[in-house]
Amino acid sequence: MQVLNGFVLRRPASIAEAAALLADPGARALAGGTDLLANLRHGLDRPATLVDLTGLAGLDKLDWADTGVAIGAIVTVARLARDPRVIAELPALAQAARSIAGPGHRSAATVGGNLCLDTRCVYYNQSEAWRRSNGYCLKREGDVCHVAPQGTRCHAAYSGDLAPVLLALDAQAEIASPAGGRRSPLGELYRDDGAQHLTLGRGEFVIAVHVPAPAPGVRMAYRKSRPRGAIDFPLAGVAVALAASDGRIESLRVALSGTNTHPRLLEGTGELAGQAIDNALFARLGKLVQKQVSPMRTTVTPANYRRQVASALAQRLVKELAGVS
Amino acid sequence: MNEVQGATKESRAAVAGRVRTVGQPQPLIDGVEKVTGRALYTADLPAAQALTGVVLRSPVAHGEIVRIDTARARALPGVRAVITGADCDVAYGILPIAHNEFPLARGKVRYWGEAVAAVAADDARIASEALELIEVEYRSLPVYITAAAARAAGAVPLHADKPDNIEREVSHAFGDVDGGFASADLVREQSFHYAEVAHAQMEPDCALAEFDPERGRLTLHSVTQVPFYVHLTLAQCLKMDPAAIRVVKPFVGGGFGHRTETLPFEIIAALLARAAGGTVKVELSREQTFTVHRARPETDIRLRIGMKRSGEITATDAEVVQRGGAYAGYGIVTILYAGALINALYRTSAVRYRGYRVYANTPPCGPMRGHGSVDMRHAFETMLDSMAGELGLDPFAVRRANLITPPYRTINDLQVNSYGLPECLDWVEQASGWKQRKGKLSPGRGLGMACSHYVSGAAKPVHWTGEPHATVNLRLDFDGSITLLTGAADIGQGSSTLLAQVAAEALGIGLQRFRVIAADSALTPKDNGSYSSRVSFMVGNAALAAGKELRKHLVDAAARRLETSAEDIECLGETYRVVGSDRAISYREAVRAALAETGPITVKGTYSVPEELQGGKFRGAGVGPSPGFSYAAQVVEVSVDQETGEVNVENVWVAHDCGFAINPLSVEGQVQGAVWMGMGQATGEETQFHDNGLPVRANFLDYRVPTIVESPPIHVKIVESRDPNGPFGAKEASEASLAGFLPAFTSAVAEATGIRVSTLPLTSDRVLDAIHARRRSERLKRARAGS
Repeated sequence: MQVLNGFVLRRPASIAEAAALLADPGARALAGGTDLLANLRHGLDRPATLVDLTGLAGLDKLDWADTGVAIGAIVTVARLARDPRVIAELPALAQAARSIAGPGHRSAATVGGNLCLDTRCVYYNQSEAWRRSNGYCLKREGDVCHVAPQGTRCHAAYSGDLAPVLLALDAQAEIASPAGGRRSPLGELYRDDGAQHLTLGRGEFVIAVHVPAPAPGVRMAYRKSRPRGAIDFPLAGVAVALAASDGRIESLRVALSGTNTHPRLLEGTGELAGQAIDNALFARLGKLVQKQVSPMRTTVTPANYRRQVASALAQRLVKELAGVS
Repeated sequence: MNEVQGATKESRAAVAGRVRTVGQPQPLIDGVEKVTGRALYTADLPAAQALTGVVLRSPVAHGEIVRIDTARARALPGVRAVITGADCDVAYGILPIAHNEFPLARGKVRYWGEAVAAVAADDARIASEALELIEVEYRSLPVYITAAAARAAGAVPLHADKPDNIEREVSHAFGDVDGGFASADLVREQSFHYAEVAHAQMEPDCALAEFDPERGRLTLHSVTQVPFYVHLTLAQCLKMDPAAIRVVKPFVGGGFGHRTETLPFEIIAALLARAAGGTVKVELSREQTFTVHRARPETDIRLRIGMKRSGEITATDAEVVQRGGAYAGYGIVTILYAGALINALYRTSAVRYRGYRVYANTPPCGPMRGHGSVDMRHAFETMLDSMAGELGLDPFAVRRANLITPPYRTINDLQVNSYGLPECLDWVEQASGWKQRKGKLSPGRGLGMACSHYVSGAAKPVHWTGEPHATVNLRLDFDGSITLLTGAADIGQGSSTLLAQVAAEALGIGLQRFRVIAADSALTPKDNGSYSSRVSFMVGNAALAAGKELRKHLVDAAARRLETSAEDIECLGETYRVVGSDRAISYREAVRAALAETGPITVKGTYSVPEELQGGKFRGAGVGPSPGFSYAAQVVEVSVDQETGEVNVENVWVAHDCGFAINPLSVEGQVQGAVWMGMGQATGEETQFHDNGLPVRANFLDYRVPTIVESPPIHVKIVESRDPNGPFGAKEASEASLAGFLPAFTSAVAEATGIRVSTLPLTSDRVLDAIHARRRSERLKRARAGS
C-alpha cells in the first residue's frame, strides 16, 4: 500500500484565515477529500499542509433569492442531489449531482471540490511506481505528454459534472483571496491547460457559486455517457438550457465536460436562435459539438467515441427538452 | 423476482422425526459474521507486533538484473529485514512439471511489477523509504505484450528451456475429422479474439506470516483458496520441514481462481518473517493485486465446424492461441481445457484441436471461473447460431439436434452420467417467451441463447499422492456437538455450510448441533482446495461418508443400550428407535452410550474418483475428466441504443443442472454470480498493456466490472438430474452458467443491431463503430444499386 505523505492538517475558523494559510505554496484545500486523498495516495502531490475548509461558517448554505441561488462551496453533492428546491428549479443541477460517483462519495464530496476537480488522464491517475516506470508526464514531474508526445501541452481531461450545468446556467463563482474576494463568470475559473486548469491565484479558493434564476420558459437537463451506470466519470457530459416556442429556438446554451481540459461552453448556439427545431438543426448542433470538443487519448475509451457520444447526447437532450420525439 | 424451483415436493418432505437439511434453502452459517462486519479477513487479523512488509517491483517488463545493492536499505533505522532473489533459489509453480517462478526474481524480470526485493520494517513509512534506497540496475530486453510478438522469429526467449516462447503446444485429434467435414452439408470457419480479463475479487491480496525463531516454526495466514498447496510450496521454497509450518485461511473475500496456486507475496511474507525473526504483514494495493493476476488469458480462436442440414455437428477443427504471461502457473491446464471441453456438452464425433500456450511479458495468467472453457464456448455457440441461421434452423433446434443421452463417453474419454440440458433448454425457451418473441421484438431489442457446461472437480488432482481426493473428519464429544473438520476453503461460495448440511443429513439432526472448522492445517485434514468446482462433489461425498460413519457409531451404541442388533435400530435424528416399536433413546443418550465405550469420537469420511471416471491414457488426458458435468442454458435479452452504442441487459433466464441442490439458496446465488461475471467479460472487462508492459487498467475505474445498476433481473431455474456419483446426486453449481452468457449476449446484440462481432468485450464504442460501419456499407450498397 502506498502511504500518505506526512502533512499538517489546519482547520481555519474564518475565510480570511483559510486564505492566508492557502497562500503558502505547500498548502492545499481539503473539503470532502474524495478527489484529493485518492490522488495523494498515488503520490500525485505531496502538500506540507492541508487546509480543511469544512469548518468554515456560511459555506454550507443554499441561499435562495428572487434573483437566484447562492450555493456554498462545502454544500455536499448528496445534498444538492436531494434538495427539493434544486430538483424543482434547477433540475439539471440535481441530475448532475446524482450522477457523480457513488453514494458514499456524494455524501462527502462538495460543490467546490467538484468544480475544482483535478484533471484526469490514464498516464496520470496511476501509482507512483507506475508513473516512475513511464518517465512521469508533463502534468507532473515529467516533460513529455504521453497522450500527444510531439506537443508541449497537457491534455488531461476535466471531468466534473456540475460545471457544465452551471456554465449553461451562466453561473458566477465567488472566490475568496488573501486580498479580499472577487466574483467572476464561472468560465473564467478555468483555462485550457490540463496541467493548470484552474485560474485560482495563490491563497484563492471558491467559496460559493451564484446561479441566476433561469428565465421563464427555460428547460434544462444534464446527461453523461459513462462506461457504467454508477461510479464513473463522464466520457462526455452534456448540459443543455433551452427556451423554445412554436417549434423554434429562443435561446440555447450547451456546455460539456469530460471532453476537454476544462468544462466548455459551446460557442455558436446564439446563432441558432429563431431556428426551427428539426433534423437540420440537430445536424448543425451535432457538428458544432463535434468541432469544439477535443477529446484525446486520456481515457481507455477511444477519443473518437467521446466525440461522437457528446454530439449524440447534445442532440438528444435538445430533442427531449423541445418535446420532439 | 428470481424464482428457484427445486425438486418435487415428495423428495423435500421430511421423514417423520428426521430433520432434512439438504435440499433446504439454508442461509450461510458464516453469514452473520460477514453481514455484521465481525468477520476477520487476513488484513483484519490482530497483529499488533507485525512488521510492515513491502515489495520492490520491477520497473521494466523484460530485463536482466545486473546488480542489486541493498546496503543502504539495510542500514536504515527501523528496517528489520531486506531480501532479494538471492534469499530463495527454489523455483516453484502449481504444476509439478512446470516450476519456473521464484518468489523474488533471480537474474531476470519478465513482467512489469514482478517482485525483485522486499523489506520488513517497523512501519509503513520506514518500509517505503527503504524501498527507495535499494539500487537495482537492469539491462533491458525487448518487451512482448502479444502472443504474436513473442512467437515471432528472432524473439528473445523469456525462459531458456522454451526457445520459441511456446510453453506448451497441444495437438489432439479424435474421430474422423476429415471424413466428418466431407459428410457435412455446411462448413464454416471463423476467427475470434478475446481480451484478457481478471478476477477482480473484492479483497486485495494479503498475507500475515509469523516466524518463531526459537522453535523454527512458521504460521501463515493468507487469502488462499488452496492452503495445502501453499503449505507444500512454503516448505519447498523455505527448505523447511512441512511439520514446522501451519497454514490458516481466515475469511476470504472472493477467489474466482486468483488464489488457486501459491502466490509470490505469500512466500515473500514467509521469507521476510524468517529473516526478521518475527511477524510480517504484506498487504498489496489494488494495482499490485491486479499485477499478481493469474486470470483468463488473451485468446485467439480459429474455429471450423461442419454441420448436417438437420443441425447435427459432424466435425470440429479448432486452433487456440493463449497469451499466458510470464510464468507457467496453470498454463498447461488452461490450454488443455480449451480443447477438452469442446466435448461433453453436445455429442461430438470428430474433433481436431491445436493449442498454443505462449509466454509473454505480461503478468502470469491462471485459472478463472469457467477455467479454459469460456472463450471457446463463445466461439462455438456463436458459430452454432449463425450456421443454424444459414440452414433455417432455430437456435434451440440446432442444440437439440446434438443432445447427449447418458451414460455417454466422449471421444476424448470424458464420462457423462447425468445430463439435465434438455430440461434446461425447455425451461429457458418457455420462460423467456422465445417462441412468441424471437424475431418479433421492437427495433433495437434482441434475444439470444446459448448452452454451457463445466466439471465438478478435476478427476486427477494437480499433485497426485495416491491419497483419497477428499477427507472430512467429524468430532463428537460429551456435549453432543459435532465439529466438522475440513481443509476445504470457504471463500464465500458456501462450502462450509454445504458440508455441514450433508453431514447433518446423514445423521438426521439440525445444523444447530454443528460447528465447522475449515482450512487450518493444525486442525483440519488436508484438502486439495477450492478450485475446479470440486468441493461440493468430492468433499461433499467425503462429508456424507463421515456422517454415515458417525451414524453407525451411534446406531451401534443405541443397539447396545436397547439390547438389540444394529439392523433393528432406525436413526430418526434426535431419536434412535427400535424399528416397529416405541422403544427408543434420545440422541444425547445415544451419544453418551457411544462415548462411554470409547471416549470422544472422531470419524473420517473420504472420497476417491472411481477409476472409470478418470479419463483416457493419451498425453494431456488428465485435463477434462470429472466425476460429473454440470449443464446450463440461458436466454439473454438486450436493448441497444443506436446513437450511443450502449447495450443494456434487460433480462436473463438461466437454467442450471447442478444434479441436486444441496442448498438451493446458495445455488441460486452462485448461478446469478456466474451469469453476472460472464456479463462483465462480455460487456466491459479487459486488462490492457502499453507497449512497454505497463498495465493500463490495474484499477477499478478502468477495469470495468459492472455495477449493480447494470445488473439485470436474473431468473434462475434449478434443474436436478441426480448424478449417480454426486452426494445426493449433486454436481457443481457455480461455473457452468458463466460461459453461456457471452454467446447468448452477442447473439442478442446481433438481433438488435444486425451485427455479429467476433471480439470481446463488446463495449459501447465497439458497438457504435460496428453500427456506423454497417450504415456506411448500407449507404454504399444503396449508392451502387442506384448508379
